[in-house]
Amino acid sequence: MKEVRKPDVAVIGAGPAGLGAALAAHEAGLRDVMLIERDIELGGILPQCIHDGFGSIVFKEVLTGPQYAQRFIDEIAKTDIEIKLDTMVLDLSPEKRIKAVNSREGVIEIEPKSVILAMGCRERTRHQIMIPGFRPAGILCAGAAQRDLNIEGIIPGTRVVILGSGDIGLIMARRFTLEGIEVEGVYEIMDHPGGITRNVVQCLNDYAIPLHLSHTVTFIHGRKRVEGVTVCAVGEDLKPLQGRERMIPCDTLVLSVGLIPENELSKKAGIKLDEATGGPIVDGMMETSVEGIFACGNVVNVFDLVDYVTQSARTAGQAAAQYVMGTRKREGRPIEVIAGKNVKFVVPQFLNNLEDNVSLYFRVEHPERAVKVHVSANGKLLARRKAKMVRPPEMIQANIPAEKFAEAGEITSIEVDVVSDEE
Amino acid sequence: MEQVTLPVEAGVVVIGGGVIGCSIAREITRYTPDVVILEKESDVADGTSKANNAEIHSGIGEDYGTLKQKLNVRGNFLYEEFVEGLGVDFRRQGLMIVITDRTLRSEVSKYMPKLVKGYLLKKLIPKLIVRNAEKKGIKGMRRLDRDEIFRMEPHVTPHAESAVFDPTYGLVSPYKLTIALAEHAVINGARLFLNAEVTGIRVEGGQLRGVVTDRGEIKTGMVINAAGLFADEVAEMAGAGGFKIHPRKGATLLFDRDATAEYVHSSVAEFRLPGKKKRLSKGGGAMPTLEGNLQLGPTAIETNDKYDTSISAEEIEEIFERFYYLFPHFPRSAMISAFSGIRAPTLEEDFIIGASEEARGFVNVAGIQSPGLASAPAIVEMVVEILHRLGLPDQKRADFDPIRPAPLKFSELSDEERDALIATDPRWGHVICRCEYVTEAEVVNVMHGIIPATNMDAVKRRTRVGMGRCQGSFCGSRVAAIIADELGIPITEVTKDGKGSQVFAGEMKSLLKEGAS
Repeated sequence: MKEVRKPDVAVIGAGPAGLGAALAAHEAGLRDVMLIERDIELGGILPQCIHDGFGSIVFKEVLTGPQYAQRFIDEIAKTDIEIKLDTMVLDLSPEKRIKAVNSREGVIEIEPKSVILAMGCRERTRHQIMIPGFRPAGILCAGAAQRDLNIEGIIPGTRVVILGSGDIGLIMARRFTLEGIEVEGVYEIMDHPGGITRNVVQCLNDYAIPLHLSHTVTFIHGRKRVEGVTVCAVGEDLKPLQGRERMIPCDTLVLSVGLIPENELSKKAGIKLDEATGGPIVDGMMETSVEGIFACGNVVNVFDLVDYVTQSARTAGQAAAQYVMGTRKREGRPIEVIAGKNVKFVVPQFLNNLEDNVSLYFRVEHPERAVKVHVSANGKLLARRKAKMVRPPEMIQANIPAEKFAEAGEITSIEVDVVSDEE
Repeated sequence: MEQVTLPVEAGVVVIGGGVIGCSIAREITRYTPDVVILEKESDVADGTSKANNAEIHSGIGEDYGTLKQKLNVRGNFLYEEFVEGLGVDFRRQGLMIVITDRTLRSEVSKYMPKLVKGYLLKKLIPKLIVRNAEKKGIKGMRRLDRDEIFRMEPHVTPHAESAVFDPTYGLVSPYKLTIALAEHAVINGARLFLNAEVTGIRVEGGQLRGVVTDRGEIKTGMVINAAGLFADEVAEMAGAGGFKIHPRKGATLLFDRDATAEYVHSSVAEFRLPGKKKRLSKGGGAMPTLEGNLQLGPTAIETNDKYDTSISAEEIEEIFERFYYLFPHFPRSAMISAFSGIRAPTLEEDFIIGASEEARGFVNVAGIQSPGLASAPAIVEMVVEILHRLGLPDQKRADFDPIRPAPLKFSELSDEERDALIATDPRWGHVICRCEYVTEAEVVNVMHGIIPATNMDAVKRRTRVGMGRCQGSFCGSRVAAIIADELGIPITEVTKDGKGSQVFAGEMKSLLKEGAS
């Protein structure tokens, strides 16, 4: 019989979320921390993100993806955190039993006292947005193309159409151009870009790459390899407008049409998921509906900045440590956090204690100028901030200092609203 | 395999490496190893056999008295025996034919008293369906009332009035079956040539003499024309034509296993009395795959292009609209893939199976559209009888090997079996495909299998690598790298599905060199 390891915490996934959570759990006093990663190196998606823009909140400086990851990897190297690379978790039970496999140990069972889910997300594919046409070679997701170029050193195509203006798509438009790959244009079905403004400016405008808003791809041509795509303008209902089609010859279609939190293991563990975020419902300490299983980073919801991922990871790591050491604070009744006016979702979805400072993360439903963000309970304001412009791709953070909860009296729920500044 | 030259002579040449060609070739090897299979694509099962709904129909949907109907009923009956020893899963999940309040066309039912309508929908129509099936030789059909329907299939619409259950419907992976049949044939002496396109048939004085391909000529006295969509063109080469294959597309939508497992347990179809328009297919349905994904489809759309495997936006919508009535709360967002296959019907819509009188030795097995997969065992029986008359030895070989070893699958093994394999080859512990849990060892193994996979799609069909919810986003370039390594070619030469389908365009910086365009 193989020995069953029983660490204090097992962190599943060693991207920015897992790295941050493992470190935080260790710093908070857990001695036996295990970090499990299916890839052959630490860092998750960061090693392939060779552009800069990471770390402005957490490190107050601008780093590349590999640099950002390295900061954590270096810290972890100073600890005795056990790292299992190239190890695939096959199963996670509601009792927190993990089954995993790797080439060195074979199938292993782990019975940790707590679990932190940090599996990240995956890319939405061609069929999930139902693009009609053929199924030739030359259709790939932006993140996969980024990996091909920056890690494998291979060029996916010579003339590219990009559908979707998510951040990875924008970053890749610039990356393709620098590599001598022609980017015919970026097409976005919505009437506003999917990525953050900084990327639209620095990756498209600076390279004169056209962005066609309110457009989509309606057909993929080519039986063996992509020979072209038909693009078409869409109306307000996002349906293609007849007679507005245009065939564009190209050998590659790159998709940047959204990310999906990767929660297959969460489902196996019986964790409740939020339909709006696609991730586990969590409390203020990032604990899921299964006691002792925490979640952080993009597995909870897709963050736009890695800095936020790190922040959520710290919370989860500390919370797991408190859980294991029995120092966790918990109120009697969970307090719901409600997504109010022009708010698509809020994470966390509820709070279990009101004695700690809390960070709420949320996205708006539609773009809006000159707004105030109100976080309130019992009609009393807990936090507020102004914004010149809010847009769905950009996550908004609202911090509530713990003393505000005491001032508000008995709280049964908390609501987040985005209201016009004139109101 | 491509470098190997064709033999000068062969006892039998089978044209077409689809499920029909491979079934027949495998059957021939029970009598003689001297059979050659010619396939123009880079793998077997690369045409219609790779893109259908995997269903083994009972024959209920076929017109009584047609060859199709008879062979379908017989084929279905023979299936367990047919797949024995192939290492391929076959399961009879059954078909639920649901009768709803729209089974009767509204112009008919509009003026009907409620009592009459109820009697028709709950009693008479199910009874007629069962009687019709019994006449065709289908056994075990029974009527279900509403309680039974929802107990068996909880997601079916409350508009269901009654249903008929056909327990004989089965599921098999069509491409895995075809590959297994081809490998079983090869184990027993058949020689398979991929990327070998037939360009002519040599006939002299009414006697078949040989087959001409783009890679050389083979002398033979017996040819099976199992060229599927191209069977009319091949028959024409022998002067044994006179029929026309008109391609008909069928699109199917495929859903995430986790989201739709257990969504349906049997195949489920809605019964609708035909309107004025003649139906071109059995109407399709919702059905599980053996792996647990849900499928919806197929459509039936005439096309004039035998390579048109595209899917239109209208087709996708049509499928959803059709099934929203049957499954009102269907999880549309769980769709992970859509594919289209092309049926190969003749204008007469029946199978054409028979020895040619114009070219003695030439046998057409044409017009094999759905339910061809289900009919395959019976088609084989019929063809072999013809071949015996043409000179195939009557005596079965004593040295026929009844077993085709199936490739091992990590996802199906016990932990003890996994550990034992990892101990001998660490690549068994290296999971490449995260959605379907496929290991590096499996990918490498199928590249050295009896019929080696040489491209991404061939590996995918054999291992399921890239068939999951991420559709190869994570594993694609990793699989390409393994293929390149095993074949000893640069990664830029790795293809998705044979010539012209290169996955990558070049090495890093190649486009920045002077002179690069």
